[in-house]
Amino acid sequence: MTPGAWGLGLGAWGAWLDGLNRVKRAPWLVIGVWLSTILLALPLTLVLQEQIGAHLGSSMAAQAAADGVNYDWWNEFLAQTSGVGASFVPAILGFAVVMKNLSTVADVSPMPMVIAIAVSMYLLVSMFLAGGVIDRLARDHDLGAGAFFSACGVYFVRFIRLGVIAALVYWVLFGPYHTWLFDDVYPVLTENVTVERTAFFIRLGLYAAFLVPLYAFNILFDYAKIRAVVEDRRSMLGAIVASWRFVRRNAIAVGVVYKINILVFLLVIGLYYLIAPGASADTLAFAIGQLYIVLRVIVRLQFAASQTALFQGRLAHAGYVARPIPKWPDSPAAEAIGPR
Amino acid sequence: MVVADRKRLRGQILRGGAALAALLAVVLHSPASISAQPPSAQLPIAQALTTPLPSPRTANYDIDVTLDPATRSITGTELVTWHNQGVVAAYSIRLHLYWNAFRNTNSTWLKQRRLAGDDPFAHADADDFGYTDVTKITVVNPDGSAGRDITKALHFISPDDQNADDRSLAAADLDPAIQPGETLRLRIEWKGRFPKNFDRTGVIGNYYFVSQWFPKLGVFDAGWTAHQFFANSEFFADFGSYDVRMTVPKGWMLGATGVEQSRSDSGDRTTYRYRQDDVHDFAWTTSPDFIEKRQQFETPGRPPVQMRLLIQPEHEYLADRHFAGAAAALKYYGEWYGSYPYPTLTIVDPAWQSESGGMEYPTIFTAGTRWLSPRYSNDPEYVVLHEAGHQFWYGLVANNEVEFAWLDEGINEYSDSRVQWEALQPNYLVQRFFGDFVPWQYRDIKLQRATDTNWMNTYRRAPDRDSLSTPTAGLWPGTHQNMSYHKAALMLHTLERMYTWETMQKVLSIFFAKWKFKHPRPSDFFDVLREVTGKDQQWFIEQVYNSSNTFDYAIERFSSESLSSRGLFEDTEDLRFKENTEKGTFRTTVVVRRLEAGQFPVDVLVTFSNGEQAREPWDGRGRWAVFNFDRPVKAVSAQIDPERRLLLDTNYTNNSRTLEPASDRAATKWSLRWMVWLQDLLMTCAFLV
Repeated sequence: MTPGAWGLGLGAWGAWLDGLNRVKRAPWLVIGVWLSTILLALPLTLVLQEQIGAHLGSSMAAQAAADGVNYDWWNEFLAQTSGVGASFVPAILGFAVVMKNLSTVADVSPMPMVIAIAVSMYLLVSMFLAGGVIDRLARDHDLGAGAFFSACGVYFVRFIRLGVIAALVYWVLFGPYHTWLFDDVYPVLTENVTVERTAFFIRLGLYAAFLVPLYAFNILFDYAKIRAVVEDRRSMLGAIVASWRFVRRNAIAVGVVYKINILVFLLVIGLYYLIAPGASADTLAFAIGQLYIVLRVIVRLQFAASQTALFQGRLAHAGYVARPIPKWPDSPAAEAIGPR
Repeated sequence: MVVADRKRLRGQILRGGAALAALLAVVLHSPASISAQPPSAQLPIAQALTTPLPSPRTANYDIDVTLDPATRSITGTELVTWHNQGVVAAYSIRLHLYWNAFRNTNSTWLKQRRLAGDDPFAHADADDFGYTDVTKITVVNPDGSAGRDITKALHFISPDDQNADDRSLAAADLDPAIQPGETLRLRIEWKGRFPKNFDRTGVIGNYYFVSQWFPKLGVFDAGWTAHQFFANSEFFADFGSYDVRMTVPKGWMLGATGVEQSRSDSGDRTTYRYRQDDVHDFAWTTSPDFIEKRQQFETPGRPPVQMRLLIQPEHEYLADRHFAGAAAALKYYGEWYGSYPYPTLTIVDPAWQSESGGMEYPTIFTAGTRWLSPRYSNDPEYVVLHEAGHQFWYGLVANNEVEFAWLDEGINEYSDSRVQWEALQPNYLVQRFFGDFVPWQYRDIKLQRATDTNWMNTYRRAPDRDSLSTPTAGLWPGTHQNMSYHKAALMLHTLERMYTWETMQKVLSIFFAKWKFKHPRPSDFFDVLREVTGKDQQWFIEQVYNSSNTFDYAIERFSSESLSSRGLFEDTEDLRFKENTEKGTFRTTVVVRRLEAGQFPVDVLVTFSNGEQAREPWDGRGRWAVFNFDRPVKAVSAQIDPERRLLLDTNYTNNSRTLEPASDRAATKWSLRWMVWLQDLLMTCAFLV
């Protein structure tokens, strides 16, 4: 389905729907990104499994821990563990996962070093995959693994350069700006507040003051990546400037697409609130957890797809990417397995 | 018997004689004598107030105080009538001036707090500091005329740490001395300024909680017991009568120790008069923002109590839960230990950020809750229950909190933990996110009495920093709560598991009956424990109370195999190599080990595959022991201290082993759950890329 079929001149809603269809037509992207989270998480998961197993040993306490929650054992483990084990807290249960992680970002809470390293590595992995993902969504047809990873490689170095600029901006936002808002402004605003509800709403206001520029720069860098891929831009500064021009001229549509995606994100976490598993031992609980992660992946891809669809619908056309489909290096093997 | 004990015994005899004399005076001179009184359930509050309670009424205060919100200060005058019920003459007085702990950063209180790594006044403004200044102190003659002015004789002392900058304790010589049985009357004028909202007393907005606000005499027996104010410790004073008139801005609601006697307006001010006999402190609160609610506590066999709740508007929907917590304390503590004897109990819901929550004063206490408080997580019920419980342990049994805080904190935590278990279930774990505002309740995690509400998890992280017998003010800063609350509660619960709840209830009820309106010491508690259990308990006191040893018993090895042997055995006259297996017999070997220094007798329990069990006692003194069991079946599990009598064992996971462990299943389950959390975190952070 092409964007024009909706007769909307690709308004925001049309772009969002187009993006959803693009994601539907790229199931391997969903699987691949989901697998990337598993690949990053699995080594540390095995470490934690080893730590828990060693701590429980052949103790009878393991039975209660296996069947439900053994909170006394859990506290004992936390008192004696370090590294990955220190992150094994009750907030891994059910919907508390979402509460804790969103709170961690909103409050810029410290995390154990090993987790921070895992997150950093995943950001690099995401940056690597981003080029291939946007390229695939922009072309909107199957390219094969070779072309996908070639695109990843082509754009990775450019996105590193973009990432340096983005990292600087995010460092300011998550660092001095966040500190100023919550360690300086918040205490001043709440110094003589005697009603907790008032203090809470003040904090909500400061969260908004933090998130608005965060999302604004996020949008800017998203479209910079899209323009870099679709228009095969080499200069990331140029891509950022071009992104700014696009966002400025199409602010309403850009904002609506973003908000629809945020709404979908909230629906997904709302769904998880309803179905998040408790502490029961069955494999269904793990499956539900992975289903939630897959939905998160889809939401993330939907962001990229709908934004790409909007851009192409406004400034280019569906399926247009300036750069030819990346090819393998010339070799018989490459020709044998390359895209047909 | 050493000298101190003889003096103490004389003191007890004299106090007992004074109390008997007072009682006789009441019976002989009061027409409405005790025998003629109607049942207390029918007494109106004012009449109930005059029913005498057996407190010695040593230090009596008649106070006038005016609050000036504009300067955040109070000005007061008090007439102190003090009876020397000690065994020696008093040649001087001791006055507590608690707010001087917040006078400057050189105070003992703030220095001790800094030692704990906390410096709350590091960047404070001039206005944030507080003080109490005695402007005049005069001895009052028996005829009421002014006697000697001893203002200039008043000087600060620091007998505990020799900190010459500390101003929390003052002394002045008396001439003549006050002999045992004589009475001293002092008129004291003072002014005080509230410190910023900080540690129990202070002001924020239009909310005032006023505690430790008046110059208060120390406790006299064979000399003065009056300590400087330490961050680690609380308070200690004599019982007496309080008649207090508090003047506050008109329209401000007020709550205080005791019963309101009158209220009068004058211009833009209102003066409240409150009275209470037989208490050892007086606190009050005022604010125009309170919403007042009242509920009558009634239960068969106990006198009724009027519960008065002063609650913040945003918490009004939690009023019933406040009353439920207080009623639970009155009911259960009343049944287990003895009746609450006062006609009123005031619950104060402090203002947000006032730092005055969770603190007890006679017949009034502060609770503290959150705007969002999920049901079935005992907030506010727990803190209300705990502080109401302090009316018994602290208010009536008035231990010296500077030296033995565990006698009220530990007993109270042990007790409130049991009340929660009996009356306030389920009690789910709650954690807060987004700046500690938004609660999340874990419906899979029910807090357990033995571990969670006894705060085992806090205790096990620092079990050996001090011993429980260390005077409270001398505990390492930061360990006071771990020792006085948690270790003491775990110790008492361990005793319960050793001797049954019925025995512990008897111990505590006798201790309560014997020592209410008095100042017991730890030895008094242990004497009752010995008396009721009929056992010496010295080993227990040495191991648990006097030492800082940690306890950790473990099953080090556990095996159950066919009984066999091989080697050279006598065969007629020769040695022959043989391999013997006794078919149908399994040898179960259990090696137990004491991993830490603490020693405690424990049992070893082995369970066999046919359901049979074998139990062996171990005195727990050696570092290890081996137990062998020969049975026709294999064993499936071994446990040391299977009933978990020793709640102070910091590591219970190693107390058992089974030949069919579920650890792989548990480790896989929980690591996969954790993986979902990590994946979600990765997706959340990668949103920016």
